[in-house]
Amino acid sequence: MAWRRFRRNKSGLAGIVIVGGFVLLALYGIFDAPYPPRSFVCLYQGCTNLPPFQSWAHPLGTELSGIDVWSEIAHGASGDLYVGIAATLISVIIGIAVGAVAGYRGGIAGALLLGLTQVFFVIPILVIILLFAKIFLFLVAAGLGLNLIVIALGIFGWPTIAFIARGEILRIRELEFVQASKALGASNRRILFRHIVPNMLSPIIVIASLAVAGNILTEVVISFLGFGDPSTSTWGLLLEDGFQNISHSWWVSFFPGIAVVLCVLGFNLLGDGLSDALNPRLRE
Amino acid sequence: MAGILSYLIRRILFAIPVFLVVSIITFVMTNAVMNPIAIVRLGIKSPTPQMLAQLQIYFHLNQPVYIRYFYWLSDFIQGNWGRSLYTGTVSARVVPWIWTTLELQIPALLLSLAIGIPVGVYSAKRQYSKQDVAVTTTAIFGVSMPTFWLGVMLIILFAGTLHWLPAFGALSISSQYYYGGNIITDAIAHAILPIFVLTFVSLAAIVRLVRANMLDALRQDYVLAARASGVPESRVTYRHALKNAITPVITVVGLTFGTFLAGAPGLETTFSWPGLGYEFVQAAGNLDLPIIEAITMVITIMVLIANIGTDLVYAYMDPRVRL
Repeated sequence: MAWRRFRRNKSGLAGIVIVGGFVLLALYGIFDAPYPPRSFVCLYQGCTNLPPFQSWAHPLGTELSGIDVWSEIAHGASGDLYVGIAATLISVIIGIAVGAVAGYRGGIAGALLLGLTQVFFVIPILVIILLFAKIFLFLVAAGLGLNLIVIALGIFGWPTIAFIARGEILRIRELEFVQASKALGASNRRILFRHIVPNMLSPIIVIASLAVAGNILTEVVISFLGFGDPSTSTWGLLLEDGFQNISHSWWVSFFPGIAVVLCVLGFNLLGDGLSDALNPRLRE
Repeated sequence: MAGILSYLIRRILFAIPVFLVVSIITFVMTNAVMNPIAIVRLGIKSPTPQMLAQLQIYFHLNQPVYIRYFYWLSDFIQGNWGRSLYTGTVSARVVPWIWTTLELQIPALLLSLAIGIPVGVYSAKRQYSKQDVAVTTTAIFGVSMPTFWLGVMLIILFAGTLHWLPAFGALSISSQYYYGGNIITDAIAHAILPIFVLTFVSLAAIVRLVRANMLDALRQDYVLAARASGVPESRVTYRHALKNAITPVITVVGLTFGTFLAGAPGLETTFSWPGLGYEFVQAAGNLDLPIIEAITMVITIMVLIANIGTDLVYAYMDPRVRL
């Protein structure tokens, strides 16, 4: 039913197509990219700082130190999709857990968790994540690579999801089938995980899809500012390379940026489409 | 009025735990993990034992971590932010950056509100028309774009290729390079690109939100009732529908303002704009802990003030909130 509505929604379909395209690009990057990630091979072949559309070997040109832009964008796809999706999964798990307790339990624990959620809402996340990435993890847990960014984004990204989860739980727990189940003597845990959580997933899927977009954007900024993992290919890292040579080679800044915009756009469209398909009230 | 006052007090009371949580996070990340003396050692070639002992006392390093936190917090609240590990006192350096940051943020916020609300209403009134499709398409690209990347593209175009506008900084280095010949036009020329970028990105978010809320409001029964009783269409749109559609927008604008303040590092670094964000990135590169701590806390306070202000406007417009 939801799928039929989703299929009629052009922007949602466009989102799926774009996201699917980036998944293919990431697979291409992993299995069949012409050059390995962060490879300076062109330095030895004398084809550095090559403009785009000049040779088949480097369709999108090369960077000043010899990185092939096209191949690096394909490698960046897997890095950024990984960061976006993995960080969102962490946020969803924390968010559902916090929201479930705050909504279902109520009382002091619920109020405390709700307060904590509101506190996390107002924290200037980017600055804290930069601090986290540079000072804390750089010195304490270097070697975790990109996972550091995933953890940081996941830890600070859950409040929206917790709020929505809590609201949904407050709504669903009053519905008849939950009351019926309670009357039949089902345990709290059974009611929560068998009846409530499956029914509140649809708004959370919508938010998660938008959160992937947001996480990719944040990752790009983190890497661009040089707070990311310098050894793993991401679009932000390539954009940083491009910014260093902004006056020589515009293409190193341009093409990865287009990749970011399209990928984030794909997840945003997907989220919008899902929201239309899953909330029939808003259509008409 | 009394309602608003007690509401204000409640909001400020709520801001205190937020402030404390951020201060703990900041302190733990900077101090508990890194020994400030280790950083000083990076800069000083051969510190004497007396010097190290003085630093021990200065940073209260002979005390346990949680005691050091209270020393640090009380110093911070009293405005005693200490010295940068490089040059000058922290407060003398950080306070001017607050103004340069606001120089970009406030005009961008006002511009995007002034443009975003009418465009969103226009788009909602003509849902699925060509203009609406153009607006929504532009807006979704706007929210999908890294702010700094738009900045980089505009620098390449307007500063690099066309040489119309300066690429970086808030002012030219000396008066002979001033754009337009004097200091005012020069300052404006430097601010045009960053303000444009910031406005465009927040405009996109505001337009999308106003449009969605207006669509929802225009479908309500009271709009139908107003139309049926012969109220002119413009009055229905602006008095009845917009008034109800605008309240959620205000909350989001407050949150967006916070996001943009926190997002300042990206934008300001792109334009080498000497504000809190740019200097935060510089200080993090130098591991200048006192500056990093102060900027994090100052940005948090600014975000909190923005949020409280938003809540007040919200409470003023929607009396139900005050209860």
